[in-house]
Amino acid sequence: MLKKGKLKLPDRLGILVPGFDDKEEENGGSEPVFESGEELEIMEPNGVELGNKENEYEFDLGVDDKVGDKVDAFRTRKRPDKDGPGQVTVREVIAADEKRSDLEYEFSQKEINLEKVKRIASMGVPDGGGLRATAWKLLLGYLSPSHDVWEKELTENRQKYAKLKEELLLSPSEYTRVKADAMISAELSSEGDVAGPLKRRGISHGDHPLSVGMASAWHHYFKHTEIAEQIDRDLQRTHPDMKFFSGESSFSKKNREAMRNILLLFAKLNPAICYVQGMNEVLAPIFYVFSTDTDEQNAVNAEADSFSCFVRLLSDSVDHFCQQLDNSPVGILSTLSRLAKLLKENDEELWKHLEFTTKQTVLHKGLLQVFIIFGSS
Amino acid sequence: MGSSSGQSSGSYDLSFKILLIGDSGVGKSSLLVSFISNSVEDLAPTIGVDFKIKQLTVGGKRLKLTIWDTAGQERFRTLTSSYYRNAQGIILVYDVTRRETFTNLSDVWTKEVDLYSTNPDCVKMLVGNKVDKDSERDVTRDEGMSLAKEHGCMFLECSAKTRQNVEQCFEELALKIMEVPSLLEEGSTAVKRNILKQKPDQHPPSSGGGCCS
Repeated sequence: MLKKGKLKLPDRLGILVPGFDDKEEENGGSEPVFESGEELEIMEPNGVELGNKENEYEFDLGVDDKVGDKVDAFRTRKRPDKDGPGQVTVREVIAADEKRSDLEYEFSQKEINLEKVKRIASMGVPDGGGLRATAWKLLLGYLSPSHDVWEKELTENRQKYAKLKEELLLSPSEYTRVKADAMISAELSSEGDVAGPLKRRGISHGDHPLSVGMASAWHHYFKHTEIAEQIDRDLQRTHPDMKFFSGESSFSKKNREAMRNILLLFAKLNPAICYVQGMNEVLAPIFYVFSTDTDEQNAVNAEADSFSCFVRLLSDSVDHFCQQLDNSPVGILSTLSRLAKLLKENDEELWKHLEFTTKQTVLHKGLLQVFIIFGSS
Repeated sequence: MGSSSGQSSGSYDLSFKILLIGDSGVGKSSLLVSFISNSVEDLAPTIGVDFKIKQLTVGGKRLKLTIWDTAGQERFRTLTSSYYRNAQGIILVYDVTRRETFTNLSDVWTKEVDLYSTNPDCVKMLVGNKVDKDSERDVTRDEGMSLAKEHGCMFLECSAKTRQNVEQCFEELALKIMEVPSLLEEGSTAVKRNILKQKPDQHPPSSGGGCCS
């Protein structure tokens, strides 16, 4: 992937996601070497290289097969050969068991071998036991390969997320109130039980909802209500067939609320990209997998963890979402034309079909959909 | 991507391209699915563009309608603009319960049509969706009609959910298209071209790497 012109995420995100900068360098081309002599077995058909880490598009969600058919033709990973229906089932069960114990063993190590995890996970992670959540966190670089620092890092990241939320998602009056409450309780504890008028320090009297000043906190707040409405409308329509996401239950409402926070926060931190339809589809499997982690502490903190992983996942393809870069060498259009070229090289018949039966540049644009649908497959 | 229905015979007299545009969440995809599959389902937001094919008989002619469904969000507008080209019919959809989707028709969508549609004779139709939510209605039928008149569009109100007026939208549009000689001509040449295309080796792939441009 071309580095020139690549959008940098704001520094804040760098703080939020440790090792973020290192990750950018990895994407520049050279893969990190983890262990010499370790066998690298990356399943890739000839010539397919989209400039992205391949694992990140393989969600293997196992909850939504609906879109699978659409995308199957474009999967970059070879499926194991199937001999017969009966044999396959048995073999798959055994393979899943083996994978599970391999991953469990790997995750229990003091220093986790990421290449091994990558290799095992490249054909899908078996359900259950939060294996998928852990594998994704590791492979996205959210969890360090050193097991010992997990707890510390997770706690820090979750606190940072809470702070970001407080700063950016609360309305200015809520924010002021939270601050004031904190201050009052601090004063009370320091001054003991001294009764008296409560001090209203920390409340800015110069700012108000009708302020037109660009520096007004309210100005920024209102600017985002429109995008928040768009996000809400899309979350109502995200996986409408799954109770986890849709419906009027308090459970699904809570999940939508969390996803809304994540998408809105991302939009605020990345004004050049803001929110683009399809991000909901990318976030949904991450949030679902993290929320259904068997580790209670992880499940409770799914929102914070999902945010960081979502940011990491998008950081590789962030240029595609940015309208200003559409016609640049790093934009979605040139990526799609590269993809079309690869398709032509690898499956000319399909390419011809798409090119001629649908006329013009449809392949080009149509693949945009395929590209983003990877998120829900 | 696209799916077809009733394409068993594969033969038809005329082929038309129809485009669905309008704000995000007004129900463009629902309208299309409601028309194509006679069913009502909850749909995820459209990303980029999608299309569906429907064959039907209108006015004694067997028609093949290729209906393009576009994403409403502004981010996709540069990507969807090329789909206006060669469309014989454009359906501008708004949500009768959300006024801004109605005002955006004049502020945004009719301008997009003027800018990108290459077909001056192209038939336009204004469609107010979600009339089943009558208690939440925010745009009256009269307002819809007068805007349609202002922009020289046909007008209908419908509900993709109850399927009220859904078939009428597409059928009336098709009938109107067939009344326009230039569009009728385009519709039949598309059929001829398609027959040519089915012959093998008619189109050797162009040399050079610059595909899709």
